Amino acid sequence: MKRFLSKPYRWAGLFSVLLTAAFTFVLMDTFVIEKSYSGASASQANPTAAAVSASSSSSTEQGSSAAVTDSSYDDGNIKITIETERYCGSTVYIADIQVADPSCLKTAFANGTYGRNIKQTTSDMAEANDAIFAINGDYYGFRNYGYVLRNGVAYRDTAGSGDALVIDENGDFSIISESGTSLAALDSAWQVLSFGPALIEDGEIVVDSSSEVSQSMTSNPRTAIGQVSELHYIVVVSDGRTSESEGLSLLELAQVFEDRGCTVAYNLDGGGSSTMYFNGQIINNPTDGSGTGERKVSDIVYFGY
Amino acid sequence: MSTSDTSIRAPGKHIRKTTAAYLAMTLLAAAVNFVYGIFGHGVSSGWMAWMFLYPLLGGLLFYNLISLSIPGVIRAPRYRVFFNIHNSGIAALTAGSFLKGILDIAGTDSAYTACFDAAGWLLIGAGIAVLILTAIRCRNRLGPIV
Repeated sequence: MKRFLSKPYRWAGLFSVLLTAAFTFVLMDTFVIEKSYSGASASQANPTAAAVSASSSSSTEQGSSAAVTDSSYDDGNIKITIETERYCGSTVYIADIQVADPSCLKTAFANGTYGRNIKQTTSDMAEANDAIFAINGDYYGFRNYGYVLRNGVAYRDTAGSGDALVIDENGDFSIISESGTSLAALDSAWQVLSFGPALIEDGEIVVDSSSEVSQSMTSNPRTAIGQVSELHYIVVVSDGRTSESEGLSLLELAQVFEDRGCTVAYNLDGGGSSTMYFNGQIINNPTDGSGTGERKVSDIVYFGY
Repeated sequence: MSTSDTSIRAPGKHIRKTTAAYLAMTLLAAAVNFVYGIFGHGVSSGWMAWMFLYPLLGGLLFYNLISLSIPGVIRAPRYRVFFNIHNSGIAALTAGSFLKGILDIAGTDSAYTACFDAAGWLLIGAGIAVLILTAIRCRNRLGPIV
């Protein structure tokens, strides 16, 4: 070995191979290798979750005769109206959604599995769950931190540094600071989404023109959800990163929710992930990386049965 | 694992080659950050923006300081051991910084990036220890090496 390494550049060559292998492994581990954690860390955060789920499912069934158009749906239990507007140089899709029962607001994991790098497109997840309307979620599987609690089951209790959206059993929204609230303390939480930041709290805009998501640039495709009143929600998805649509800043996004009377609104994963699905169709123009097309993500928020 | 103990016969040429190599690495690191920024929708990371400092300070500047302050040590048989270990440390730190930049820009993280820092600083520490021992041995055998 000593004789082998005494030749010029052999040490450098050997170390370069080792370094490249380590570098490639970390990239593969972070972006590619699927790791399922289902069952391992999952625990019932809300003891009444199963009972509530069962009773809600039985109390609300899909209406037999839904009135459906390209931009609306009404079956008596779920009423959805989608408007398309130009706002601040971008095309913005605004869905006004009213439901008869909080169980109609649901979340789902890609392939039905909690884990890292387990991904599906929003439309594939929506179809797999018979969703009437769906948007991308918080892409929890791309990070190792941030609360994950879905349909009453806690999957990750590692706090992130920002805000989380809590949806309780009654379908009401609230914002918590993850660093100041333990997941175990959220005993009535039905869903917890961890991306942020909060856009509106108590009817007031809580972002300003300098607010941004981590390393993100000022204007981007966006996905966000807000609540107007009991069982009445607004979902906004904006196009961006194209010549037709620059994208929205967080302040501009918050103003869309404020204009519609939301008391709480929360920013979800945006950029290439932003997707709005309605009745079998992609409504917006998703941009994945440098091209157009739907990005695979970890989870969705949807309305359905 | 052992490293080479082949002595360097032309210290001046060795330092010039090392300086040129680290200058190229510094410029490459800056260029990678620039090009990555073009395709990153304007998103940037301090880890990637400043990674050029490792080859600049830890390589180019450090080796020139050695050649100015203790030039005699470059001819010592064990100098190449230090040279290989130190270069490996700088490479590990630069690669780790690049990796953290990629993950930072993507909005994620990995526990494994700490291994690059640990390996890098460990190698640099070991390299400097070898350099000091080599310099002391040279001084004891040959007298002052400056």
